[in-house]
Amino acid sequence: MFDLSSRTAKVVFFGTMCLIGFYMFFPLYWMITSSLKDNAELYRVVPTLYPHEITLKNYWTAISESKLLTYLTNSLITSGSSALLNTILALYAGFSFAKYRYFGRQPVMLFMLSAQMFPFGLLLISLYPLMTEVGLLDTRLGLILSYIVFALPVATYMLYSYFSQVPDELIDAARADGASDFRIFHTIVIPISIPPIVTVFLYSFMWSWNDLLYSMTVIVSDEKRTIGPGLLLTYLNELNADWGGAMAASLLVSAPIVAAFMFLQRYFIQGVTAGAVK
Amino acid sequence: MTNLEMTGGFRVSPLTRRGGLKGVERRVGMLMLLPALAAFSIVIVYPFAQALGLSLFEYTLQNFEPTFIGFDNFRTIMSSPEVLDSFIVTVIYVGCATAGTVVLGLGWALILNQPFRGRGAIRSLSLLPWVVPSTVSAFIWGWIFNSRYGVLNALLLEMNLIDVPQAWLSTPNGALAAVVLTRIWRSIPLFMAFFLAGLQNLDREQIDAARVDGAGNFAILRDHIIPHLRPVLLVVVVLGVIGGLQDFDTIFALTGGGPVRATSVLSIEVYRRAFEQWDIGMASAIGVLWVATLLPPAYFYLRMLVKGR
Repeated sequence: MFDLSSRTAKVVFFGTMCLIGFYMFFPLYWMITSSLKDNAELYRVVPTLYPHEITLKNYWTAISESKLLTYLTNSLITSGSSALLNTILALYAGFSFAKYRYFGRQPVMLFMLSAQMFPFGLLLISLYPLMTEVGLLDTRLGLILSYIVFALPVATYMLYSYFSQVPDELIDAARADGASDFRIFHTIVIPISIPPIVTVFLYSFMWSWNDLLYSMTVIVSDEKRTIGPGLLLTYLNELNADWGGAMAASLLVSAPIVAAFMFLQRYFIQGVTAGAVK
Repeated sequence: MTNLEMTGGFRVSPLTRRGGLKGVERRVGMLMLLPALAAFSIVIVYPFAQALGLSLFEYTLQNFEPTFIGFDNFRTIMSSPEVLDSFIVTVIYVGCATAGTVVLGLGWALILNQPFRGRGAIRSLSLLPWVVPSTVSAFIWGWIFNSRYGVLNALLLEMNLIDVPQAWLSTPNGALAAVVLTRIWRSIPLFMAFFLAGLQNLDREQIDAARVDGAGNFAILRDHIIPHLRPVLLVVVVLGVIGGLQDFDTIFALTGGGPVRATSVLSIEVYRRAFEQWDIGMASAIGVLWVATLLPPAYFYLRMLVKGR
């Protein structure tokens, strides 16, 4: 793209690269190295650039002395279930929008899509009393259901735009063979749609995994708490914050989502940017 | 013809032999939509409508029976400097964060579009700031901005840019800068991904031709790359503004809206009113104004999606 044969071009290019790269990656490097330092090395006015003595003590403390494992389990349960729920709902809705024509289809679709812009905090104001009424406050189910707010609209749109590209002939041919529409969807369309389905699942999972606001409000008891508020209450609510422990715990809770993401990122980026770029 | 358009392009031709089957298919389609629509109505539409309604009521911890007071909540907001401050903070936050992310995200995408060894790995790693949970990013930046042991103070002292360590998160401007920098850091990856996708179908021959005509790097950027990326730029700005207006988690974890109210954006303001002061009516009213702020970018976004189909 750019011609980097001249010296000025090289300097500008690599200079910018170093600056932005530093901004992007140094915080991550700092999280990792800080988690490996002991307190004597961590709390110094002039910090060491790398851990002179590597210790895993922070990880050990985070796992054994805090409730991190409980929080992680809770997050896995709520995020996993809500991602599954969202994906299933969005699968049928997306297919319906893409392949059927009925009265009100387009307005409903647009309305659903616009819902991603409803402020989450505003919805919570009325979700909270609603959940109290039906006894879902402080339950994992309540949290799972409220996570529909985050991902259902976008998930539906992502699957809709994928299904729109599935040729109608494929469905018509199977219909001519006498297969029912649900059967066609389950045995023909879903098997060829695994990449977008995985993308939508991960997208939805990520939203719930990262959530702080809803979990902090809906969940009251400590044994049901998820990682977002769990981390915050463990490490920053005390007078003397344990930064080494916070960094170690941060790494531990980021690991599952980062691993899943790295594995599937190609599909993921295609799915998220689809529609915006042609 | 007009009738057809009004029903959303749904066609009933008297010539089709499968007129009866079509009816069945249509019902199957509606059946498939039903579960999502039900969930959507209960969890999103109903609470939204109710919040709109509650903005017209007095509904507080002292007064648990909602009383209709018309537009009084909005009148209170108009004469309340706190809410006005919150609006200003939100505009600064969203504006600075979006502008900063566009510049840095575009720069980073252009760099990663240039072939060099290890590019694939850097591209993958660049997505990390976006993937780590919001609480984690608040922890990372809180530690960097720490007033006593933070690496930022150490760095600036070393470079002689400051004389004494700064308490970044305890001063209004420092805290606002910190939440903006954290937000930019978190959103560069997504912007970069959009820009990289847009750069893929750039017309290389056109650029080569321009280069033969003597155009330099800057001229190519200005005359070819940026105009080519304009549609992507629009999408990214709209998504950035919507995302910024929605943002709560990182700000809450990093500063809690403080010091005092320096980083109290609308999302934080609504949360505080509703769940710390239990003033549901006022919280809903501020939320309604928040929705109004979101409407213009939302409109553009939807229009783009509809056009793009």
